[in-house]
Amino acid sequence: MEFALLAWKNLWRNRRRTLITLAAIAFSIMLMQAAHNLAAGVYASMVDHGVRAGSGHVAVYLGDYPRSRDESLAFAPGNLTAKVQRLPGVAQALPRVYLPALAQSSRESRGILLTGVVPLAELTANPFLKHLPPEKMIRSSQGNDAVLGCRLLDELKIAEGNKLVITLQNRQGELVSELFRVRGSLRTGIRDLDGSLVMVGRKKAAAIAGMPGKIHELAVILKQIEEEQTVLAEVNSLLEGKAPRAMSWEQAMPNLADAIKLDYAGQKFIFLIITLIVTIGVVNTLLMSVMERIREFGVMLAIGAGPARLRWLILTEALMLALVGIVVGTLLGSLITWYLVHYGIDLSRLLPENMEFGGVVFDPILRATWDFAWMTRISLYLVLLTVAAGLYPAHKAARIAPAAAMRKH
Amino acid sequence: MSLIELTGLGKIYPLGNQQVTALADLNLCFDRGEFTVLAGPSGSGKTTVLNLIGGLDQPTSGCVVIAGRSTGRSSPAELAEFRLQHIGFVFQSYNLIPVLSAAENVEFPLMLQRLPKTERQHRINTLFEQLGIAGLENRRPNDLSGGQQQRVAVARAIATRPTVVLADEPTANLDSQTAADLLTLMRQLNTTEKTTFIFSSHDPQVIGCARRVITLKDGRLQSDVQQRP
Repeated sequence: MEFALLAWKNLWRNRRRTLITLAAIAFSIMLMQAAHNLAAGVYASMVDHGVRAGSGHVAVYLGDYPRSRDESLAFAPGNLTAKVQRLPGVAQALPRVYLPALAQSSRESRGILLTGVVPLAELTANPFLKHLPPEKMIRSSQGNDAVLGCRLLDELKIAEGNKLVITLQNRQGELVSELFRVRGSLRTGIRDLDGSLVMVGRKKAAAIAGMPGKIHELAVILKQIEEEQTVLAEVNSLLEGKAPRAMSWEQAMPNLADAIKLDYAGQKFIFLIITLIVTIGVVNTLLMSVMERIREFGVMLAIGAGPARLRWLILTEALMLALVGIVVGTLLGSLITWYLVHYGIDLSRLLPENMEFGGVVFDPILRATWDFAWMTRISLYLVLLTVAAGLYPAHKAARIAPAAAMRKH
Repeated sequence: MSLIELTGLGKIYPLGNQQVTALADLNLCFDRGEFTVLAGPSGSGKTTVLNLIGGLDQPTSGCVVIAGRSTGRSSPAELAEFRLQHIGFVFQSYNLIPVLSAAENVEFPLMLQRLPKTERQHRINTLFEQLGIAGLENRRPNDLSGGQQQRVAVARAIATRPTVVLADEPTANLDSQTAADLLTLMRQLNTTEKTTFIFSSHDPQVIGCARRVITLKDGRLQSDVQQRP
């Protein structure tokens, strides 16, 4: 008989109570792991969607462009785009121009955001263009083709194939106008964007604005998000201390980063409450178990077990409770995560349109992703917390006076 | 020098707002190999003396010296270690650990002594054979009769080869035949192993087989008589 065996046997004195406590630990770890993995999957999908349509995983800007959106902060990329495109972790480098402008049809006019893109590169990387047939995409960077948001198309009361005039103030302060023909329309799911997006060739947009060859943003899409820091450093080294600087998507898209942080903070609070409830449950179980065994502890002290032995006995019981609960909980959590990774939760029937969060549309089928590091971390936290919950009962057991324990109990 | 010396031993228990004197100015000595009974009616202080000798309780006055060592200034951990190495306890209600088998109950103090598994197993086998409970090793206390449980308790008390065994009314819950068997057994251990036994009892059967009978009344020594076994 070893000491651990005694602790194990003690746990099963009150089978029902131990099972309920184990269920609480297992259920909480299952819930936290599955919920976190689902959140991680949804956030990853949002980030992926957001960065592809927005700044990229890594973005190059001049000055404070991401916050100020001052169109004078444009820079000439030179051969930077080609160099970045050749970096091993980079899937696509997308130079873009953004200009506030006015779009006029024969019937209506609307304020718009004129976005100059490289058509072919954008078509392969931008999720907004996923459902746009290739023949409806802008044909060249210099041409007069335009792709409009569907709502804007309606508001201007025009259709594909119709013309529109775009007017903006160029770098010299003069108003310039250019005629474009609507080649296609797209639905992003973001109401504001669908009502203001006009996508045209990058060179054409830059030329109208009187800043030929210049861009406002070089969005860098990565093959793997994990390579963000590596590529960020590589791009910054390519810039060699020049004025434009590379930044991560969190810096470039603070709205999305903050929305995710806020959402996850709410989830963390729920996790905190769950762990608190579990801790109270474990303290209750161990304390009741100690109170029921006071006479027995008196006997153990009488036959030579020291207070430290009793303390370790209770802590070993707590550790075993935690380990069994966490193994069972992790198995269940993994099972649920596996289901959520492969099948996900389909919300498309509940929601008529795409869901928008932090200015980003994400897939209505919520899918989880495996975050093994976090799963391990939360399991270790819960083990530590459960053992910590055993400290008070252990202390109580160690302070038992043997004669009084045997006399009174 | 005596094995155990009790000098001016006193114990007062608080009971609500009152103080109850359980022992007053008790002076006693016990030699190695004694087979002694502390006799007296309930409340005379028998169990208190055993608890004080075993370091389970602290005296209000006086001191206990065992094998030249005073137990008065020891910490709970030191007292536990002292009990582990020198003292075996047998209780009236057996006090076996219910989740452990009979063998595991005996093994428990040996495990505390950090004896190797083979040595533990050897002692268990020998004791179970010696005490006539061989074959009951894997039974839980609830599956044993009172006499069998008390034999297991005796095995647990002597397994560590203590200097002294303190037995608090060990026959109180046993029928007379089982009690007689147990007393014979303890006498044998006293004779063969030279283990010192100090009992508390008001059972004439136990008193009758002791070599020395110390009678207490109201926490004071009434008589201390050597008798022929």
